[in-house]
Amino acid sequence: METILAYSIIGGILFGFFYALLGLGLNLVFGVLKMVNLAHGDFVMLGAYGAYVAYSTSHINPLITILVEIVAFGIVGMALYYGIVPRLLKSHDPEMLSLILFFGVSQAIEALATFAFGQNTQTMNPNVFGNHPLVIFGQQFQTAWWVSVLVSAVALALLYLFLYRSKLGRATRAVMGNREETAASGINVNRVSTIAFGIGLALAGIAGALTPFMLGGIYTTMGVGITVTSFAIIVIGALGNPLGTIIGGIVYGVAQFLMQSYLPSWSAMAPFVLLLIILLVRPGGILGKGARYA
Amino acid sequence: MSESVLDVRQVVKKFGGFRALDGVSLSIRPGEILALVGPNGSGKTTCINVVSGLYPADEGEVLFQGQRINGLSMSSLARLGINRTFQIPKPFKALTVEENVDVALRNIHPATPLVDDPLAFVGMDHVRDRMASTLNSGQQKLLDLARALAGAPKLLLVDELAAGMNPAELRQLAGKLRELASRGVALLVVEHLMGFVNQLAERVIVMNAGREIFEGSLAAAAKDATVVEVYLGG
Repeated sequence: METILAYSIIGGILFGFFYALLGLGLNLVFGVLKMVNLAHGDFVMLGAYGAYVAYSTSHINPLITILVEIVAFGIVGMALYYGIVPRLLKSHDPEMLSLILFFGVSQAIEALATFAFGQNTQTMNPNVFGNHPLVIFGQQFQTAWWVSVLVSAVALALLYLFLYRSKLGRATRAVMGNREETAASGINVNRVSTIAFGIGLALAGIAGALTPFMLGGIYTTMGVGITVTSFAIIVIGALGNPLGTIIGGIVYGVAQFLMQSYLPSWSAMAPFVLLLIILLVRPGGILGKGARYA
Repeated sequence: MSESVLDVRQVVKKFGGFRALDGVSLSIRPGEILALVGPNGSGKTTCINVVSGLYPADEGEVLFQGQRINGLSMSSLARLGINRTFQIPKPFKALTVEENVDVALRNIHPATPLVDDPLAFVGMDHVRDRMASTLNSGQQKLLDLARALAGAPKLLLVDELAAGMNPAELRQLAGKLRELASRGVALLVVEHLMGFVNQLAERVIVMNAGREIFEGSLAAAAKDATVVEVYLGG
């Protein structure tokens, strides 16, 4: 009993870093634009297929693919921002239009991916990172897990340093606070938002490359589910607050592991029950109103 | 080259079929304080929003130091020396008070600071390390002013800064704004508190329905039949 509990908590925390990474890109974009990128999960899916195709065709280590995807997804994100977001912001109801538009982007990506990769679920060899399982408090975790957790933690740390230790990061947090006050402070809000959007998609790319090891099989229609999961994570933590997303990811991971261990048949709905409870008890998320400003 | 810091010429701003500004013209010289007064919805804040680049003008011209600035973004204008406060300030609540001002300082980095320490100038030296989310509404307004001053404005647009302040605070604020004017800053002040306007501005423009209905001293405005009818009351 105690062994299962320890496994669930430790595994949940480890997975939590990945879940935080999954939600962070979505939350960064939401924080800066106050728009939900409904295509977020589809970019994660593309990141997953990037890692899968690179490994299955050329035996490229997913860690190398991650570096390529950071650049590629970052550029795509910035191009996507410039292509659509300034026009959205000029409309009378940018939030509603953005939901429709990003849903369209999501469907387009899903259709094109299905055309390119087919409908079958694909898996990757979990020993691609070698076979050096990690043992914590007597619990063994496979190599692919802890490498993915480590990569997630590094990505989170780098994002933290960017947001809280750099001039551009401070400008990004200012945009998250208020776009007009930021512009009145001499900051080019569009430039900062473009970079934030690029970083948001780059984070989706990183999470995507780790997805085959953390979530199992990958398939082209998995994006919608990942977007919903990511949204649940960021709401649990605090919308628009990157630090909240890390807490949200860990809470989500532990809750999921506990349910899988003790009530497996109910585990799929556990995160959403948790989301409902958070929304009812603490609508601002775990970090609450005082900390939801970024 | 115009002597004025700001020239607004026949500016029109429309929201759908509504003309929020309907051919407004005004100019301000360096060191002058011009007050824009008028009933709610008369176009005062819209005028500031157009001059500061938040809204583009639909017709007419806006010139800053003789140069046409129509279409420039608010961030570009802030770097040129047009800085503003907001009627409802929304400071960066995730940042400290000092960081709020630093954001403007580091991005505008004026060649010559207008004041050595904007926070000390507005009397917020003692709260510089506090999170902006903990400030009350009056402090948020003063922080907004400090942020605007960090950009070393040549033209300062002040939108209802005095609302909610007590008489002593109003006198102190009026003194600070006059001190800025004495340093050569032109101030365009939108305000409802006539006592405060009286302490500040030699010249007022009274607006109604997007148009200027009077220009002159506040004392003269108080005697103008149209101004009394639409704004000051009988």
